[in-house]
Formats: sequence, structure tokens, C-alpha cells
Amino acid sequence: MIDLAFLAGVILFLAGAVIPLATISQGNRLTRSIYLGCIISGSIVFSLVSLFVLVNNVPVSIHAWQIFPGVKIGFFIDRLAAFFLFLIGSVSACVALYCAGYVEEMEGGNRRNLFFSGISIFILAMSLIVTSENTFSFLLFWELMAAVSFFLVMYEYNRSETRRAGIFYFVMTQLSTLFVMMGIIILFFATGSFAFAHAPVNQVSAPLLTAAFISLFIGFSIKAGIIPFHKWLPYAHPASPSPVSALMSGVMLKVAVYGLVRFLVTVFTPDLWWGVLILVAGTTSAVLGVIYAIKEDDIKGLLAYSSIENLGIIFVGIGLFVIFSASGLSLLATISLLAALFHSLNHAVFKSLLFLSSGSVVHAVHTRDMEKMGGLAKQMPVTSLLFFIGAAAIAALPPLNGFASELLVYTAFFESVSVINPLLKILLFICLALFALTSALSAACFVKAFGSIFLAKPRSPACEKAHEASLSMLAGPAILAAACGILGVFSYQILTGFGFVLPVPDLLVISIVLLLMGGLVYLGLYFTSSRQTRIGETWGCGAPSLPSSTEYTGHGFSEPIVTIFSSIYRTGKTSTKTYFDQKNCMFAEGTAEIRLVKFFEEYLYLPVARGAYRGAKFIARMQNGCLDTYLMYVFVAVVAILIILGVTA
Amino acid sequence: MTTDFFLYCIINTVCVALIAPLFVSLVKKVKAWTQGRQGPSLFQTYFTLAKLLKKEVIYSKDASWVSRAAPWICIAATLSASLFVPLVYVTEPMGGIGNIILFLYLLVLARFFMALGGLDAGSSFGGMGSSREMSISAVIEPTTIIVFAALAFVFRSLNIIDMASIAAATGTPVTPTLILLGISLFIILIVETARIPVDNPETHLELTMIHEGMILEQSGRNLALLELSSAVKQVVLMGLLINLIVPWGIATSLSLIPLAEAIGIFIVKAAFLALIIGLFESSMAKMRFFRLPSLFMMAFFFSTLIIIIEVFA
Amino acid sequence: MTDAAFFDGIVKVLFVCVIVTSAYIITTKNLISLVRVYSLQSLVLFAIALALWWYTNEPVLLAIAILTLVFKVLLIPYFIASIQERIRIKRDIDFHFLSPTSSLLISLGLMIAIYITLSRILPGSVYNDTLFFFGAVIGISLVLMGMMVTFSRKRAITKVLGYLSMENGVLLFGIFATELPFIIEFLIVIDLVILILLTTILTVGIDSTLEEYHNRLHRFYLWEEMEESS
Repeated sequence: MIDLAFLAGVILFLAGAVIPLATISQGNRLTRSIYLGCIISGSIVFSLVSLFVLVNNVPVSIHAWQIFPGVKIGFFIDRLAAFFLFLIGSVSACVALYCAGYVEEMEGGNRRNLFFSGISIFILAMSLIVTSENTFSFLLFWELMAAVSFFLVMYEYNRSETRRAGIFYFVMTQLSTLFVMMGIIILFFATGSFAFAHAPVNQVSAPLLTAAFISLFIGFSIKAGIIPFHKWLPYAHPASPSPVSALMSGVMLKVAVYGLVRFLVTVFTPDLWWGVLILVAGTTSAVLGVIYAIKEDDIKGLLAYSSIENLGIIFVGIGLFVIFSASGLSLLATISLLAALFHSLNHAVFKSLLFLSSGSVVHAVHTRDMEKMGGLAKQMPVTSLLFFIGAAAIAALPPLNGFASELLVYTAFFESVSVINPLLKILLFICLALFALTSALSAACFVKAFGSIFLAKPRSPACEKAHEASLSMLAGPAILAAACGILGVFSYQILTGFGFVLPVPDLLVISIVLLLMGGLVYLGLYFTSSRQTRIGETWGCGAPSLPSSTEYTGHGFSEPIVTIFSSIYRTGKTSTKTYFDQKNCMFAEGTAEIRLVKFFEEYLYLPVARGAYRGAKFIARMQNGCLDTYLMYVFVAVVAILIILGVTA
Repeated sequence: MTTDFFLYCIINTVCVALIAPLFVSLVKKVKAWTQGRQGPSLFQTYFTLAKLLKKEVIYSKDASWVSRAAPWICIAATLSASLFVPLVYVTEPMGGIGNIILFLYLLVLARFFMALGGLDAGSSFGGMGSSREMSISAVIEPTTIIVFAALAFVFRSLNIIDMASIAAATGTPVTPTLILLGISLFIILIVETARIPVDNPETHLELTMIHEGMILEQSGRNLALLELSSAVKQVVLMGLLINLIVPWGIATSLSLIPLAEAIGIFIVKAAFLALIIGLFESSMAKMRFFRLPSLFMMAFFFSTLIIIIEVFA
Repeated sequence: MTDAAFFDGIVKVLFVCVIVTSAYIITTKNLISLVRVYSLQSLVLFAIALALWWYTNEPVLLAIAILTLVFKVLLIPYFIASIQERIRIKRDIDFHFLSPTSSLLISLGLMIAIYITLSRILPGSVYNDTLFFFGAVIGISLVLMGMMVTFSRKRAITKVLGYLSMENGVLLFGIFATELPFIIEFLIVIDLVILILLTTILTVGIDSTLEEYHNRLHRFYLWEEMEESS
């Protein structure tokens, strides 16, 4: 019965892909509602299927198509796969709901149909990845997802920055597919099958398994945006339309997390140093991600770097899981893995909420630059509330869901004093301190973001004329915001419901306490304080009605942090001067430049790219288009065969 | 929820709300004495709060719902956090109340809203205050977490109320590690309650105020709520320091005499701590803002040293 | 309140005080407090030696304690302070290679690295007695932190105090890890060396950086050039 439901979901998505293509010439609201309805209902069907499996804990196996013996496409949904399927389904449903309003505002005419067809295939591909039964189908759908996402990113291809971002993204995603493929092939050589089954560790297979893990880890890190492979994220997210950013950041990055967790849990028996590697990569991404986020002006760039930070936190959870399970501390391992998975769900929910509501803002103000926004809380009150809930969740404020998952990570760290190895304990303490730093910095980052966009006075004329988003553009984010609240407040109940009794506090109690305290104070003051209010001017040292240019800007807000961490933000200062005289006394003219050194781009990516280019040019000499060379190759090959036959006979 | 715990909540909240303004004035009085002045009366903060409640609230025309909500959320968060630190009576904690991470993050919730309130009215004073406050809190956070991790390690519990019970049960010998942790907690107290050398709580010059800058635009009842929440935060952190390091006299049973004794002893101990805070503040000048990270680095070094010595030796 | 636990606790606090004073010496820019902190460090060392004598009852420790008190807490700081009063130098702002924050982070890393190295080099029996092992670790850390002061600061007086701090570290290491009588002779020799060094710096210019020191030596004909001797 469940297989039929799953099949129904797949068919709905295929319909959502085909209908826009079929109706590409007649674009009216009815056809748009139909195919968006297909996408929404397909996502809801998948969420229901996954909820069914999660609650009943009965795995579902669906066999689709056997290509050759040993190579087949099949689907297997156990609790881990169902969890990620639920994540994909629910977030996609809300994003598609948002698109129902967004599609009316999008430019591009008939290109929109191609776009939504692509979105449908994208969501379908991601769902099929997490439900794959063997590594072959995993790889097949992974490649499909990568290819379709490139087209989605390139939607506004007439802008040069989008083209650059798209090409960069395409190279990185192909690189990630390459490493994943390599890992799967090495795994095939080590175990002899494509199944997701436990690989036995012995003399022969151990180095192969380690190589497979490294390769898979690099592949998944590139896709997840772990430093130093993260550079495509801050280009791809701002350049693509808001629903695509929401889907990519909220859902696609989690598919990479699913891949890593699936391989670690089901296939490998991890060594301790694997966990240390994942933990260090996660901590670095978390710290550097949020530090770069604080410096951003572009709202979507800020959210992109914040995704890097949160993926770092998820990897910290996974790393802790591997370390604890290799050390034999199973309760702590469970807490860490639950923290990582729960944070994936929470991040998917609040990051897509943030991207969608910032999409409404960007659409209303026609710019992505936060320095030109301001005062939108009065003009777009509902959007400001939704963005606020997302910002509060990502800054880990109790009792919302971001705090619930970070609490699990903190609990795992604090209990880690029972680890025996002293070197490991030191590493865990350092990572704990850095984790606390990222949490505090992300709160600062989102105070800046929310304050620059929604508070104070509008900083540009376009901003003064902004209007609230349409109802359907508010409905999707509203559901996500409600989910943030529910997942946070009822987190303890949800975890206990799935059978995990953990030593973490119950956030429902805290929410009730907060409400009670607020209520008591209000009651107390209702009778004792004056209830008169008046509207007046902001204090400007006596100057009347200061303009918006005197407000604190986002740059100014982040300036103390940038100065304190100035050794991480490398600025290059160059100046050229020309003088009138030979002794360089009389200054004629000059230029001075202070620029932020894009560290990873200039020292890692560009040298690698230039090296690849040189290598390619060298090899290209072999194919120079001249017929004589090719005939000579044939001649050399025949002569070589003759000699070899003569020598070996 | 047992009746014991319910009564604990009531007693703790009432004590905190009533005692908190006293210690704010006490620190001011100590600072005044060292400057050779008489200083305001010990009950001045109560009079100030009463006066503010009677005044009308003025909102800037640029302010949004954030300015209207922020004082309520701040006071609710700090009062909820005050439940986590037992001042006069310890009992078995329930429902996760007392978790040390949740305590820290409730204070972060209050600070988040205060920072947003500072940005809301569109004045540069508020913006500067918010920006500096968020930067300082970011840099002190690793030290705070390391100190809390050390506390959790020493008391073998993640729950502050449990820690206080253990401290009260073992009675006297204060181990040297606890003394060192007390020094770290004192540094954190200075930072979190915005005292010299981090911030000057009595200034109204724009370049020197961090906490005061954020609440500049508030007035009337809202200002009273924010002042009360800062006072509650101070007394809660003082209570954390006192009841973990010098826990003698705390009541473990619900009868009248031990409770009255506990209240009296707590007021004496907290007065002593307030005296130390006042003398400490008077003995140095406020540091330039960008020299604060070096101070915090020293505090971080100190806390990490305590952890290394405790965990490895 | 058993004897061993009490002794353990006191010595742990004293260890922390020693390292904190050493960290202060690395990062401070105020030269007057530098000398006072150095004498405080020597006082803490005196307290450690005294505690150890009270716990183990070896008379050599008492001798070391008194020697430390007389020379390092009273005489040498008084000497340097009186010179500072005459020359009136108060600040040493320049840092070479390392900033105060990075010096603190490196010292933390050094302590951890020394802990790991010593735990692998020394035989198991020494490792079991954790307080003595830890004393050795702290002693070596103090030596290395003093060495960091020597290369990262520019003024001669700060370099001398770094060297003195190094010597404190050797003393601490000696108290905890090696046999004692040898150490006493070692220490007296070092003290004499320091005295000579101080005297030369005193006559030539205690307030100069090393480059100026060379110039002044040349100026006062204290360093003959090769050409002039022929």
C-alpha cells in the first residue's frame, strides 16, 4: 500500500514536470495552478509516506527496474531515509506554495514553465536519492539532481554574474559527483556489490575502505559547502531565484548530509581519526562561515554563508557521533547523531523560511543590498514577523528549534569529559569553545540582518514605496515559521515519542514559564503603571528629524567584530602615487585601494584552476586538428603492435 | 510538578524581584564612598522604578513592534533565568529547569531583544550600543562556556540547582579549583552586567555607553522593566557565584526558620560581593573598547588553564 | 581534610598563579608592573618550595626557599626597580613577531605539547605521581614562555626579565623532577651570570634596544674593531 503511495508521489512529480512543458505556449493562471498543485501534492504525499514509515518503524522496499544482474534501481525507505524524505517533502511543499504567488511576479514569460518543470524534476531527484536502495541508483539520481540544479541556477542567464555563478557551481557540482562516483567504485571493488550493506573490514579491504571514505567525504563536503570547498555557495545562492536558493540551501545541502550519514552508519565501521577529520572540518566551516557572513552586504550572500556555518554545525554533530561510537560511548553517540539530524531538519525549515521571506523583501525593494533597505517592519509587517522568527531560530534563542538542536550538541560536548584519551579531550574543549563563539557570532549576524532590513528608517526611495507580499507568498513561509515554533517547543516530546529518552530539558516547560512570567509582570503592571503612550521623535541631540543617513548602517554594526577578527579578514591595501619631482616630494596624483582579499579564491581555487588550464593546454597539443598527426598516431600504434607481437612471441 | 518545586519557584522569584534593586544601589553607594561622596540612598532604585512606572511611555515614530515587545520579553527571559539559580532554597529540579546551557541562552534571548530595541529607533546611539554589545558578548562567549564546562565537570552535573545542592551538601572545604572558578565567574559577572572596565553603567556619554546606549530610547514603564531586568540579571549572576563557591547557609528544607536564616545570610553574602564589585570598579578606569579582546583573551587563558589543571592533573 | 588532598589543592592553585604571572610577563607593556610581577612569581615559587618542604620534610627545599626569597623576591627586583627609577623608563610597546593575544594562544599550545611529550618520554613510574609530573611540565613551560619573552620584545630590560623568568622555570623543574643538591650549585652559577650581565647593561645603557646597545659599546670603545688593533 505504501509502495502505491510512493508511486503516486513519483507520478505527481512527473506530471508536474511534463505539464509545464506541454502548456508552454499557453501560460495562464489555471495551468500554473495545476502544475504547482502537482508539485505541492507530490511533496505532501512524500511527507505522508515518510511520516508513516517514521512512526511505524517498518521499512518499505520497492524494486523498480533491473538493468543488469547486480545493477538495479530500487528504493528502500527505513527510518533514516524517511526522516530525510520528510524533510524534503515538507520544505518543498512550503516552497512550492510560495511559488504559487512568486510565479506571477517572475519575469521571463515562457521560461517560467521550463523553470517549474526543472523544479519538479529537482525535488523528485532529491527524493529518489534519499530513498535509493543501492549505491548505483544513488549515483544516478545524484547526477540528475546536479544537472537539473545547474539549469535552475542559470534562470536569469542574461546577467553576467549569474552566468559566472552558474559555471562555477556547475564545475563544483561535477567535481563532487566525480568524487562520489570514485568512492562508490572503490567501494564496489572492496565489497563486490552496489548494496548499502555493511562492508567487512579485513587486511585487504581496510585501505580500500579508507580511500572510499576519503573520496566520499570530499564529494559530500563539496556539495555541502564545507570549507575549503565552499566557494560556490556565496555565488550560486544570490544569483538564483529565491525559491531555488531556498531549495538548494534548505534541502540539497541536506542530501549531501544524508549521503555522509548513510555511508557512515550502514556501510563503514568508522575509525577514530575519521571522526576527528569530520569534527575539524565542521568546526572550521562553522567559525569561518559566520565570520564571513557578518561582513556581507548582500542579504542572500549573508544567508549563504550562514548555511555554511550551519552545515559546519551538522558536521560537528556527525564528527562527534563517529568519535563517540569509535570510543564505545553509545549514549553520547546517539545524542550527537540526533543533534546532527535534528539540526538538519531545523536548518532546512528556518533557512528556507529566511530565503523565502528575504525573497519577498528583495522583490518589493528591487535590490539585494542591505545597505539600501530599512524600516520595512512598518510596511511589510507580516514578512518582518516571519523573517524575525527565522532569525531568532537561527540565532539559537530558546524555545525555538535552532536552540533545541544546539542544546543537544552542547550536551554531547559537556558530557564528553568521559572520553579517555587526553589529546581527544583537549580537541573537544577547543571545538566547544569555537562552537560557542559561532553561536554568539550568528546571533550578532542576525541582529545586523534584521536590524538593517526591517528596523529604523528606509534608506532609499525604493524602500519607502515597498508593499507587503501577496497572500500566497506569505502562506508558505508562515507554515515554516509555525514549524519552527512547534519543532522547538515540543522537541522533547517529539524525541521521546520516537523512543529517545535523553537528558535534555523540556522546552515546553520553559515556554510556559516564559509566558507565565510575562503574564504575571503584565498583570502586576496593569494596575500600577500608567497606560498612556505618546509618539515622539528619536533623540538626535536636539536636531529635529534626522534623515535616514544618520542611522547606523550594517557595515558600521559589524565593524567592531571585523576589527577584532581582523587577522581573519585579510585586507589588501595597495596604493600608487605619481610625483612631480624626482625626490618624490610633490604629489601629483594617485590611487589607493583597500580590498578584502578573497582568501580561498586567490590562494586555492585560482591556482588550481590555472594549473588545470595549463595541464589541459599541454594535453590539447595532442589533438591539434591536423589530419597528418592523427594518421601518424595510427601508424605508431600499428608499428607498436608489430614490435610487441615480435618480442613476446 | 511537586509542591516543593512549585514553592521553590515562588520563593525564588519573589526574593529575586524584591532584592535585586537593593544591590544595584549598594554598588553605587560603595562607589560613591570611595569617591568621598555620600551617594544615593540604599533604596533609591526602588523609588526610581516606582517613579518610572507612573510616567507615560514615548515611542519614536520610527519604532516598530520590536520596541513595544522588547521590554516584556527581556523581563520574562531574565525572570525565567532567575528560576534557574537558587538563591535561598535548594530542592530537586524538575522539567529541565536549571540546565546551565538553557540559563545562558535565556540571557542571550534578553540581550538579543535589547540589541534589536537599540537599533529600532534609528538613532546612532542605539546602533553603536547594540553593535558593541553583540561584539563583546561574542568574544566573551567561549570563556563563559569553558567556565560552565569546568563547573559541570567539578560538580558532575549539568543542572545548576543540582550543583547548588551538591555544594550545600558537601559543606565546607572549598577546593582551590572552585576558588579559581570563582575568579573566572567574577570576571564573567563584570562583563555580563556591563561594569567597569567593560562598560560604565553610570555614564550618558555616547561613546562610552554600551548598555545605556541600547536603552536610551526607552521611557516610562518600559524603561522600568529594562532596569529591573538588568538588576535581576546582576543578582542572578551574583547568586550563581555565591551559591556555588560559598554555599554555607542555604536552606534545604521548607520550614520558616531555615528560610529566614537563608535570606539573611544571602543578603549578607551578596552585600559583601557587591562591596567587592564596587571596590573593583573604583580601582580602575574603563578600558578602551578595542583593548577589551586582550582582557577577554587573558580571561580565556585563565579559564582554559583551570580546565587543563583540573582535567589532567 | 586529608594532608595529601590539601597539599594537592594548594599546589594546584600555586601552579595556576605561576603560569598567570608568566602570561602577564609575556603580555604586559608596563615595565614597572613587570618587575613587581616577577617578584610575585618568585614569591609563589618560594611558597611552592615551602609547601613541598612542609610535605616532604627535606631540608634542602627549605634552603632553596630561603635563597629564592632573599635573592629573587627582594634583592634582584629592588636592584632593577632602583635602576628603573633612575633611568625613568616606563613602557615597552613594541612586539616583534608575536602579538599579546597570539603569545597567549601559543603558550597554551606549548603547555599541551609539553604535557604530551613528557608523558611519552618519561617512564611510567614518574607519570603516576601526577602532581610531580605536572610540576615538571609547568617548569618547562615557564622556561619556554620566558624564552618567548626574550625574542618577542624589544627592550633589553624586558629581555633580561624574560631570562630571569626562564631561570624560575628551571628552578621549578628542578624542585619537582631532579635530584636537588646539584640544582643548588647550578642556580648559584646562573645567578652570578645574571649579575654580571646586569652590570654590563647598567653601565652601558639599560634603556636602549639592542641596536643602540651595539652603537654605545662602539662609542665607549668597549668593543675593539679588528682594524684598530693592528
